[in-house]
Amino acid sequence: MGSNELKPENLVWIFGTGRGGSTWLASMMGESAGGRFWDEPLVGKLFGDLYYSGAGTVQSDWDDFVYARKYRDVWLRSIRNFVLESASVRFSGVAENDYLIVKEPNGSIGAPLLMEALPESRMIVLVRDPRDVVASNLNAREEGGWLAEQHRNAARTGDGLARRNPNAAIKRRAKRYVENVGNAKEAFESHGGHKVMIRYEDLRTDTLGTMRHLYSTLDIFVKEEDLTRMVERYAWENIPDEEKGPGKFNRKATPGGWREDLTPEQAEIVEESTAPLLEEFYPSREQGNYG
Amino acid sequence: MDNKDIKAEDLVWIFGTGRSGSTWLASMMGESAGGRLWNEPLVGKLFGEFYDDMLPRSRGRDTFIMAEANREAWLEGIRHLVLNVAESVCPEAARESYLVVKEPNGSMGAPLLMEALPESRMVLLVRDPRDMAASALDRHRKGAEAYEHAANYSPRRKEALAKNPPDNRPGAFIKRQAHRYLRNVGSSKQAYEAHKGHKVLTRYEELRANPLDTMRHIYAELQLPVDEEQLAGVVEKHSWENIPDEEKGPGKFNRKATPGGWREDLTPRQIEMVEKITAPLLEEFYPT
Repeated sequence: MGSNELKPENLVWIFGTGRGGSTWLASMMGESAGGRFWDEPLVGKLFGDLYYSGAGTVQSDWDDFVYARKYRDVWLRSIRNFVLESASVRFSGVAENDYLIVKEPNGSIGAPLLMEALPESRMIVLVRDPRDVVASNLNAREEGGWLAEQHRNAARTGDGLARRNPNAAIKRRAKRYVENVGNAKEAFESHGGHKVMIRYEDLRTDTLGTMRHLYSTLDIFVKEEDLTRMVERYAWENIPDEEKGPGKFNRKATPGGWREDLTPEQAEIVEESTAPLLEEFYPSREQGNYG
Repeated sequence: MDNKDIKAEDLVWIFGTGRSGSTWLASMMGESAGGRLWNEPLVGKLFGEFYDDMLPRSRGRDTFIMAEANREAWLEGIRHLVLNVAESVCPEAARESYLVVKEPNGSMGAPLLMEALPESRMVLLVRDPRDMAASALDRHRKGAEAYEHAANYSPRRKEALAKNPPDNRPGAFIKRQAHRYLRNVGSSKQAYEAHKGHKVLTRYEELRANPLDTMRHIYAELQLPVDEEQLAGVVEKHSWENIPDEEKGPGKFNRKATPGGWREDLTPRQIEMVEKITAPLLEEFYPT
């Protein structure tokens, strides 16, 4: 079963949430220590949506259901096969000891299933303050924002919500945060393999130190000079000015910027919706500190 | 990679949409000619809903798990999952019979499933969308079977039903059902047209008017041998007339089984809405 080429232990999954800094982290890792970069396959979303937010929430006792509890080992083997075969085809030239960095923030709802199917894999959970995540997402969806532009011709129901009803859009994004980060955390707690949890704010404050910690915890050897070069190359300060700012993919990278971006009411919506995770990762001294 | 005994050609898929008679048809087929029943695995929903809902831009990325460039690999993955789970659910099907997969509510994934399993047989079961909508509305009203079942089974569904019961806004409910029909039956039709293997298109109304002949026709088209006497017995066993009175009627799973009953059940406005939304399929399957 599975691929002859790509070893599951050489997959390094990055879970968390969109607008959480995963592109930055994956870019650095995809060019360090023999890393290759698989950018958002969304395989976690494929397998996670039905299981965690669809029929799976009520039907796992139904023996005929594709995700029947009774046949868990069978469908987990098929998920494993699905991931490894797809990765091997996509990265057919991968060297035996190369790592494949799988950036999967928007598929984090399926993290528990993926890590159970691939227990040898390494995993990173990248956490960011939900208020900054939501503020960043809202900005991207505003008129002229990069996400609004991408969706312009897609005619998706719900697009434009950020402009029509920002508070409803905020609630929806906060709910998505809980789904993704909550499931990434659940997967992290169960995973027996190499794993590390980092906060975006720590990565931003001390990038090199945090990256060293990350590689060391994942038990991946990286040359110090390679790491330093990658950290420098992808530093916020080295992104050209015209590629960053409001409405752009690279917006402000300022932890705590939500205090300027969200109204008190909006911040409260996020805090209420994400309370258990916020309290765990950003204890109360950092909450309610508006203005 | 088909390391199990069950073969793709042993699978007989029933696509269409919910409230179209698929339970009745699947029950008969699951008891005839060595058939076994795999009842709503929702594997079509798993793959089809995800694929359909993806933005074209996301689908077009070559890093996407279901990217066009890697179509062969992920279709193989779908095939692997279906055959392995099917083998576990119904191991006896691999040895001596075929497996009837009732999948009306996973029909949006029919094109992917049939492409992944081209040797499989398929039945496209169609029913008048106006009768389907009337049946769904009746079954989801407060106190009716589906309403109570959902409310008791899932706290989330209970909350949604309490917030927005079909009784309060039947028009909105009917509209959703019509869109669901368009998606499920439209995808099933797409799969049917592309499928090269054994296949048959059946209308619920024909099955209701003449079940034995229609079943004979289905088996003939699918090239599945069936014992005439056994088939007649199964058709008789599952006939509407043999369902106990207390198990049928308004609000029950078995409601009225009367083609054209929508004329009594839906308001003119509701009829117009269903007809407008499902127009391309209605014109093809139920021309005026």
